[in-house]
Amino acid sequence: MSNKPNIIDKAYNWLDNRFQLNDLVHFLQKKSVPKFRSSIWYYMGGIALVLFIIQVLSGILLLMYYKGTEDQAFESVQFIITKVHFGWLVRSVHSWSANLMVFFAFLHMFSVFFFKSFRQPRELTWYTGFIMLLMCFGFGFSGYLLPWNELSFFATKIGTDMVGQVPLVGHWMLRLLRGGEDVTGATLSRFYGIHVAVLPLIFTSLLTAHLIFIQRQGMHEPESWKNKAESEKTYMPFFPNFILRDLLLWLIVLNLLAMLAVYFPWELGHKANAFAPAPKGIRPEWYFLFMFQALKFIPGKIGPIDGELIGLALFGAAGLLWFLVPFWDRKNQSVQWNKKLNYIGIFVVMFIIVFTILGIILE
Amino acid sequence: MRNKILLILLLPAFIIVSSNAYSKGPAKIKAKTSDLCSDCHEMLDAKFSAPAKAYSKDIHKSKGVTCAGCHGGDASKEDQEAAMDKKKGFIGIPSNLVRYKTCVKCHSDEKEMAKYGSKIKTDQFENLKNSVHFRQTAEGSEFITDCITCHGVHNITNVKAADSKVNPLKVPALCGSCHSNVNYMKKYNQKLPTDQVEKYKTSLHGQMNAKGNTDVAECVNCHGNHGIRKIKDPISTVYPWNIPKTCANCHSKPELMKKYNLPSNQFDEYASSVHGKAVLKKFDVSAPTCNSCHGSHGATPPGIESISNVCGTCHNFNGELFAKSPHKAAFDKKHLPECETCHGNHGIKQTSEEMIGIGEKSVCIKCHKDNNDKGYEVSKIMWRLLDSLRTDTVKATNLLNRANDLEMDVSDAVFALKDVKQILIQSRTQTHLGNLKDFQEGIKPGFEMTRKAITSGNEAIDDYYFRRSGLGIATLFMAVLAIVLYMKIKKIEKK
Repeated sequence: MSNKPNIIDKAYNWLDNRFQLNDLVHFLQKKSVPKFRSSIWYYMGGIALVLFIIQVLSGILLLMYYKGTEDQAFESVQFIITKVHFGWLVRSVHSWSANLMVFFAFLHMFSVFFFKSFRQPRELTWYTGFIMLLMCFGFGFSGYLLPWNELSFFATKIGTDMVGQVPLVGHWMLRLLRGGEDVTGATLSRFYGIHVAVLPLIFTSLLTAHLIFIQRQGMHEPESWKNKAESEKTYMPFFPNFILRDLLLWLIVLNLLAMLAVYFPWELGHKANAFAPAPKGIRPEWYFLFMFQALKFIPGKIGPIDGELIGLALFGAAGLLWFLVPFWDRKNQSVQWNKKLNYIGIFVVMFIIVFTILGIILE
Repeated sequence: MRNKILLILLLPAFIIVSSNAYSKGPAKIKAKTSDLCSDCHEMLDAKFSAPAKAYSKDIHKSKGVTCAGCHGGDASKEDQEAAMDKKKGFIGIPSNLVRYKTCVKCHSDEKEMAKYGSKIKTDQFENLKNSVHFRQTAEGSEFITDCITCHGVHNITNVKAADSKVNPLKVPALCGSCHSNVNYMKKYNQKLPTDQVEKYKTSLHGQMNAKGNTDVAECVNCHGNHGIRKIKDPISTVYPWNIPKTCANCHSKPELMKKYNLPSNQFDEYASSVHGKAVLKKFDVSAPTCNSCHGSHGATPPGIESISNVCGTCHNFNGELFAKSPHKAAFDKKHLPECETCHGNHGIKQTSEEMIGIGEKSVCIKCHKDNNDKGYEVSKIMWRLLDSLRTDTVKATNLLNRANDLEMDVSDAVFALKDVKQILIQSRTQTHLGNLKDFQEGIKPGFEMTRKAITSGNEAIDDYYFRRSGLGIATLFMAVLAIVLYMKIKKIEKK
């Protein structure tokens, strides 16, 4: 056996001379992840990330055929799913991975919340993550309209109507989103631009920051785990152990995605017609359903104020409080099992689950 | 005519119309035999005596209704002021908008009518108040017509009497007094024609009516009398889906039709026909009813020569093609009615491919009986092509439905298949030309389209199974990869 370096070693050395790769390798080799019973939750963010990558790749493929105009949007999607080789798969994967991404982002957020990983020094990681979740909603809302079918048209109408309810700036925001008073081709163009340019640009910047924060600060260690004796603490190397486990999960999710895409291809429905009556069963995507359903239960008028407006204000306030949790949780820095905070978290999770189920059942 | 009536009513000008007195309501009719009003009025000059003299022959007078019955006051008083005392309900000549109330107060009250021994219906006002002629009068907004307009005043006789204004023989002229007056009618409806009476006179109904036949239909037999509605009103007796029954009122009476050597089964035949089902069951007002073929006011049965024109009004392509076909001259020569010979008349059934060809239901072989006959051969080929295209269309539709059930998008092929259905309809129409070459050229694209639709359907179904087998392979690959990864992780962690 000769010790002569092979071509991969040569390439590595060439790069190392220029970019000091050894430092990075050393960092990765040194990086470790706490290993405990609930460490499965560490993987949720990674799954959301890989789904985002699938979104970007499938989105780029769809861009090659999609036409974002009122006259051609529906027909171009129809063309993609009927004429383009594997177009049906790409479109279905794009739609399903979007939904799965939101689902895993939710899981990731709640695991972070219950582990109190948002606490100092990881406030910025929490903020960037929460904003990214909101942006996922934005991706979903803007992408939903793009096939320009009946359901998406009327769901967008209802969704933007809600924005119009916001006091003072509501009407201005409605016009800004719609590009006029009604949902038209101008709305489609805006949503298309927002979906493929504005949101990805901001999202990628935030995602980069989010990942840098995680790498710089390392994985959060739960309070209960921190209090253990050093001898009881076990770690696993980030590379290759954690990465390989990540890969395993990604494979499973990928397979789940393929099954969903094949067995439940995303329907296209009928082309939007502004003059047709709204079809039955208009409802938003499932991740908006809990809000949509809760707003339905609020009376039309509460005193002199519009019930829907109060509902939206409550959701807005709740979202803001959730976002600012690192601020108001400061007093309990050293307590892992903060009952008050956990009750709030459990209430929020139950609220989302119950109202989502009600939204599905009471359709 | 209407103006004359009004003039007569205005004659007793010395009578002051008192709305105050009328608002209390006209006095109850006094069935007295002594009627001093007439005694005085008959002695006055013509313009005042004419109503009184006319009333002496009025049916109401014969039943004991005095002048006061309608005008109020006291007919038993000799003194003019006492006789025309407002306190006794004297109303003079009621205005146009309210004078109907004078008639209604008895004619809508069964008990009141019974006092005079009358058994005539008392629903006239109920019908009248929603009619096109009276609705505005009833609302008090504008006077159009009322009881007097048709029945007259002071000289009213039994409706069946020869001198009655509404005797069946006089009705066309009565209705025409307004409806034939262009200047008068355009006040109410500029679009309404005014030639109905003229047309009626040309119809068999009109001609027989003019000869004194009261069996035949005149205006009220079709339009009704008191409750006449606009012809666009769905409850009008002449609204398309009511016309067959309106005509059947007479034409389904065997005893009546027998007198004129006419059949009485037209309604039953029509009700079972493709047209009748469309009108009577689907309420499709675009389908033809009796008057669409026979005409309305100028109703006459279409002659042999004009049948294709009548049918061609709607089935214009069929008519045009038939006129160019070799059948035209042959039918003319044999005096055969064009469309009717193959399709029938009142009982026309849904057409099908079976009408051509050489099968039992074929109409072609009624003439082209010999299998050496060119028409026999042409008919056979046409049927075969039509039947093949129809079968292919069904096959393609079933395939596309199956693909659709498998949630495969075949909307393009489904859309294209609609064109085939159109070609099939056109080809059926093309049979009327009787030209095989033209027929084959017309139907040919249909076969190409169904072939493409069948291919699309098959491809979609194949693709459905390809996707599943592809998923199976991908799942297997990922499962192997996952197992390898899992084993690798275990191996690393053992170290």
